[in-house]
Amino acid sequence: MFSIKFNIWFLSSILISLLVIIPILTVSVSFFEETSRYFEILKDTFLFEYIFNSLSLLIGVLILTFVLGVGSAYIVSFFKFPGVNFFKWALILSFAIPPYIYAYSLFAFFDNYGTAFTILKNLFGDGEYNQHIPKFDGMFGLILSISFSLFAYVYILARSSFLYQSQNLIELGKNLGFSKFKSFYSIILPAARPAIVAGLSLVAMETLAEFGAVDFFSVNTLTTGIYNAWITFDDLAFANRISFFLLLFIFILFITENLSRKKAKYHLDSRGGFKQKEKINLSGYQSLFAFLFCFILFFLSFLFPLGQMLYWTIKFPENFFDINVINLLLNTLYLVGLSSLVLIVFALISNYGNRVSKNKTLNFLSTLSISGYAIPGVILAVAFITFIAWFDNTVIKSLGFFSIKKVFIGSILGLVIVYFIRFYSLAFNGIKSGYEKINLSVDESAYLLGYSKRKTFLNIHIPYLRNSLLFVVILISLEIIRELPITLVLRPFNFETFATTAYISASEDMLEAAAVPSLFLILIAAFFITISSKYILKENNE
Amino acid sequence: MSKNFLEVKNVDFIVGGQTKVKNVSFSIQNEGDVICLLGPSGIGKTTILRTIAGLEKVNNGSIIINNKIVSSNKVHVEPEDRNISLAFQENSLFPHYNVEKNILIGTEKKSKKKKKINPKEIISFLNLKKILNKYPHEISAGEAQRASLARSLVSNPDLLLLDEPLSNVDQSFKEEIQVELKQLLSKSKITTIIVTHDSYEAFYLGSKCGIILNKQLKQFDDPYNVYHFPNSIEVVNFLNRGILIPAKVTSENSLENKDLGTIQGNFVKHYPNGADVKLLLQPEDLEHDDKSNLKLEVVDRKFRGTNFIYTLKTESNLQIPVFVHSHHIHQHEIDEKFGIKRPIHIDHIVCF
Repeated sequence: MFSIKFNIWFLSSILISLLVIIPILTVSVSFFEETSRYFEILKDTFLFEYIFNSLSLLIGVLILTFVLGVGSAYIVSFFKFPGVNFFKWALILSFAIPPYIYAYSLFAFFDNYGTAFTILKNLFGDGEYNQHIPKFDGMFGLILSISFSLFAYVYILARSSFLYQSQNLIELGKNLGFSKFKSFYSIILPAARPAIVAGLSLVAMETLAEFGAVDFFSVNTLTTGIYNAWITFDDLAFANRISFFLLLFIFILFITENLSRKKAKYHLDSRGGFKQKEKINLSGYQSLFAFLFCFILFFLSFLFPLGQMLYWTIKFPENFFDINVINLLLNTLYLVGLSSLVLIVFALISNYGNRVSKNKTLNFLSTLSISGYAIPGVILAVAFITFIAWFDNTVIKSLGFFSIKKVFIGSILGLVIVYFIRFYSLAFNGIKSGYEKINLSVDESAYLLGYSKRKTFLNIHIPYLRNSLLFVVILISLEIIRELPITLVLRPFNFETFATTAYISASEDMLEAAAVPSLFLILIAAFFITISSKYILKENNE
Repeated sequence: MSKNFLEVKNVDFIVGGQTKVKNVSFSIQNEGDVICLLGPSGIGKTTILRTIAGLEKVNNGSIIINNKIVSSNKVHVEPEDRNISLAFQENSLFPHYNVEKNILIGTEKKSKKKKKINPKEIISFLNLKKILNKYPHEISAGEAQRASLARSLVSNPDLLLLDEPLSNVDQSFKEEIQVELKQLLSKSKITTIIVTHDSYEAFYLGSKCGIILNKQLKQFDDPYNVYHFPNSIEVVNFLNRGILIPAKVTSENSLENKDLGTIQGNFVKHYPNGADVKLLLQPEDLEHDDKSNLKLEVVDRKFRGTNFIYTLKTESNLQIPVFVHSHHIHQHEIDEKFGIKRPIHIDHIVCF
């Protein structure tokens, strides 16, 4: 039964939902608007290429992240070998490397007279090494860059699912006389299917939204199409038309992922029926293989790009002095702090509202409001500008007020609003998962002990949610530090972050100069990942 | 003005828009009385407690405590203003406090009443000393339930509501707690409503028992009356301590069954001669006698420690339970014949 009772959580939920609906509506409405003749040209020429490239990229990345993510999760969850405890968290450090920084590293290492060339020259003296060094650019380089940067989504979710798979399920396989391989593909893998599909969906959404790496390798996908339509052709309606195609893609993915999950429960709860799994001790070649697989993956996904950026920073120290690191750090922290604060306040209000009101309308609005994460940053940014321009021209000016464009476009306020739409689901879901661990009867016990709702919230909820809140702040920080398209499009004039500085240097063909901001970005992100690894890996329940 | 401590008048108990129990009326006469609500799982017993506590609202009827309406379609006193304590069946301890803090938080509750219960006494009686420094996620479900019970008791409520308070407690410890809980409630004079599906627990702890079946409060009476004078076939079936056998009324104090012959006793309700009835036969109604010529076949034997319950098959395939003291000199195996003392005399004859 739907009933509406206006109170603070309703108003905030409606406000957040509206914010998310605006870009979707703007893109949909713009699809039917007139565009410049570029769209006609594009339709006959590049549109097919954009779609084809986006699909090829998606398929390539999904296959590679599946193999890397599930393979590494299986090895560290079920086997004991030297270094397993290190690898189980070290593999998530790859999150610290955004695909565009991976792309810079990959290109720089294998480029003519690049790092690989220098290493060979130092080892073996002068030679014609360039013709023997493979080139990882274009679509192949792009697939590698995105996959090594994003495989950890699949790794974390698959590992968590493997971890909670009942020992009974695995013993059942042994009882039936299955080999390790057969147990893996006929019991373990199907049981972890929803987690793997969820991980792959996240990878797919991030891949379709990827901008920096795609732009760097000059692969024409729908995302770069949107950006170019706006920057090169200065045609917002054109950008929104391409956005519409991309949103359709995402929508299909979103539905597929939701349908595949349904309400199925694929593993037993940790209480009752759950037996701690005993890891299998590996020795000899098997142990060496497991170690090498994890080490190579760790090396390629984290050490390699970190090393490349470090190498360049040391090799070209002058670049360090060309940028104002303190300023970039303060800008980044300013954005992180402000956005985290706004996101957490709204997510707390919404979650608390859902908890105390148990209202279906509110629940529906909450579900709607977290869907912003599925919309690529570049679409959000362009749609936001489109909407503000429309609102300014039609509503504000007709009322005779001053233009509001400058308040929202090219301002911190606009940036925080769009970050809010994009990352609200992180804050909402992070707090929600904390709330789900508190039985409703805990609240009711508090009321019966004479606590008011306010006192229950402050004395019971907040202390208990402290860790969830900290984790949410770290997740938001990680995303904002690495975020590129929204910041690039909406940042105020002369306001740079590590990500935008790296991008600008790379796009001006000064890759060496991109190394310093990239290195700082990696180090800060790695620091956040390290302190939050316990929560990311759900170690507290292990 | 009513003299009762609690009065529930014609209340429909509703949760999530669904009526769980309809048109319920009962009362607790004196402060300090303990009553039990008994019924199968999912029938709405917990909803009744939650509604009395103020966690669910009332559309029909009213709930009155100490002559003050706390729930009706117009009035709803918030749970925090009722001075009612509810010990939930599931773990409702505050997850970020240890057990000790969880229990002592109950003592912080503002209460007009003079403190009656000493927390130390409760902690000791519920055997919680060893786990005082542990957090809720570190203790078992039984321990959490006892800690929750302790918190409710020390909060010194006007009305204590216990939802299956001992359902997770080990059987070996359960009886001991039942005895001490009864003494404690009696000593501290805390009016209590206990919800349980265990009839033995209800009969022991409650001065009155309410039986909830098929969305109705079927019977609200002394435990003895509920057991020996059930007012409906549904209550008999729920208590499951006897069977209904066909019989014909032959006089003012006798009836006849095809397999058992004449049964004598005092009718609880009058039936005309010749009436066909269903007679309630409980395990203690029949007596074993090896010398009797009325022999029935043993089809099952349950050892209950203090006694055996034999299930005997009659010629017309009725399965009759019979109680025998466990010190009886010999046991009867399955398929053997088992003698029933004649003439059969039942103190109170309950028929439907």
